[in-house]
Amino acid sequence: MIEIIHPGIMSIVVDGGRYGYREVGIPTSPALDLYALSSLNHLLGNEGNAPAIEAFGEKFSLRFVKDVCCAITGAKVRASLEGRPLQSWMSFTARAGEILTVDEVREGFRYYVGFSGSPVIEKIIGSYTTNLECRFGGYRGRALQKGDRIDLEDIRRVDVKRIAEDFIPRMTPPHTLRVVEGPENNYFTDESLAEFLGGRGRTAFTVSTKLNRTGIRLDGKPLAFRTDAEESIISEGLLPGSIQVPGDGLPIIQLHERTLGGYARPALIAKADHDLLAHLKPGDVVIFEMIGMEEAERLFDRKI
Amino acid sequence: MNISRYGEEGIRILFGEKIDLEIHEKVRRYYFFLKSLQLKEITDIIPSFRSCLIIFERKRTSYEALAASLRDKEFLIAHIDIPESKTHDVPVEYGGESGFDIDFVASHTGLSEDEIVEIHTSVTYKVFAVGFMPGFPYLGILDQRLHVPRLETPRLKVPEGSVGLAQLQTGIYPFESPAGWRIIGRTKKKLFDYNKEPYSIFQIGDKVRFIRA
Repeated sequence: MIEIIHPGIMSIVVDGGRYGYREVGIPTSPALDLYALSSLNHLLGNEGNAPAIEAFGEKFSLRFVKDVCCAITGAKVRASLEGRPLQSWMSFTARAGEILTVDEVREGFRYYVGFSGSPVIEKIIGSYTTNLECRFGGYRGRALQKGDRIDLEDIRRVDVKRIAEDFIPRMTPPHTLRVVEGPENNYFTDESLAEFLGGRGRTAFTVSTKLNRTGIRLDGKPLAFRTDAEESIISEGLLPGSIQVPGDGLPIIQLHERTLGGYARPALIAKADHDLLAHLKPGDVVIFEMIGMEEAERLFDRKI
Repeated sequence: MNISRYGEEGIRILFGEKIDLEIHEKVRRYYFFLKSLQLKEITDIIPSFRSCLIIFERKRTSYEALAASLRDKEFLIAHIDIPESKTHDVPVEYGGESGFDIDFVASHTGLSEDEIVEIHTSVTYKVFAVGFMPGFPYLGILDQRLHVPRLETPRLKVPEGSVGLAQLQTGIYPFESPAGWRIIGRTKKKLFDYNKEPYSIFQIGDKVRFIRA
């Protein structure tokens, strides 16, 4: 059992996602950084997509009610267990009564806290992950609060391990996000597309404060629609990572909470860079770089 | 039928360029055809007005292999059983606090509240798509006389069960949620239940009749 003492700015229970029901609008809602989630579970001897806590912000803190192994991955944080300093991306053993606190987020945005045991929570529509908007899944369909207690079963002892530095991704801005062509790239002027995808040092966007698990709105030079193009499309199936551009021309990176969309999509983030989207925070600079589908596949296949 | 690629794991199949019952029927047939194949490499299918989006696993197949296999099996479409579509009656309390935009719709269209309700309840709608949020039905085709624009700035919250209009569509919000459609009423009917299958009472191709409560 663990007890939440402070939820940070926000923390929720996530897993690999809820698949197979997008036909009736049920989004996948997975951990935004799936590499961090699978590394976490690897450290703890769990199955790769086992549930964990996704959090952001400082002061996240919990008390261990039983002895258990624990680890933090994702954003690089400075944490402490009863005052003893801890690093992220390595496991550690906690004793009953000890308190873990995340003191500082040094690089990246979202971090993942997991345990060498299974959280006792209800599976909803095949998954443990939280759908915050519709309030189901996860811990009672909501973000964690002070005093929430999560029981753990099948607690196993595992050896303390760390993920080698080479396998920890870099999360510092400026972020270069590789993209592939989207279905409506011909809705925009050539000049505007060239600027949008201009690559290093040319056009940059800034992550705005309008950012949540549904999408990330960017500020910068608006994209220009061609004069003969509509500013919206007939709503249709939307892939996570799609860049949608509404009438004001400012791109929104769509994450995993919407199954249909009605805005033009000039490009989508290559799957290999989806995990990085978890670490975009307000003010970060973003540069897009267009790559071909073959390269995108190669990068993604190397990751899985 | 036009097959194209959308991202590493998507296949987009287009059946036409507009909102149209015939085009939509092709989408629906193709959706049930895909379901009948029960392919493990397909994780999700998202049918909508004029397209089916297929999401597949790169670990199990490639775009080229899956697209080719779908083309090979296409002839089967004529031989599969398409389930009968269900008809749902949805009682709605129109106007007042439940339908707080009905005055806007009246002034925009020049119709009285009674005329709006009369027109809205006189059509049997088709469920063109379910999505954006769990269980939300995109219903059409709305009578031209009720054509209203979306809100320029969506509201942060409308209550569960709100019935809205946008352009030639009408829809129902299964959850309290942000909304850009014009709200003319509210239903108490439960549209989505995460505890039991089918989670959404609506499925693509179903029919919906609104009844004044």
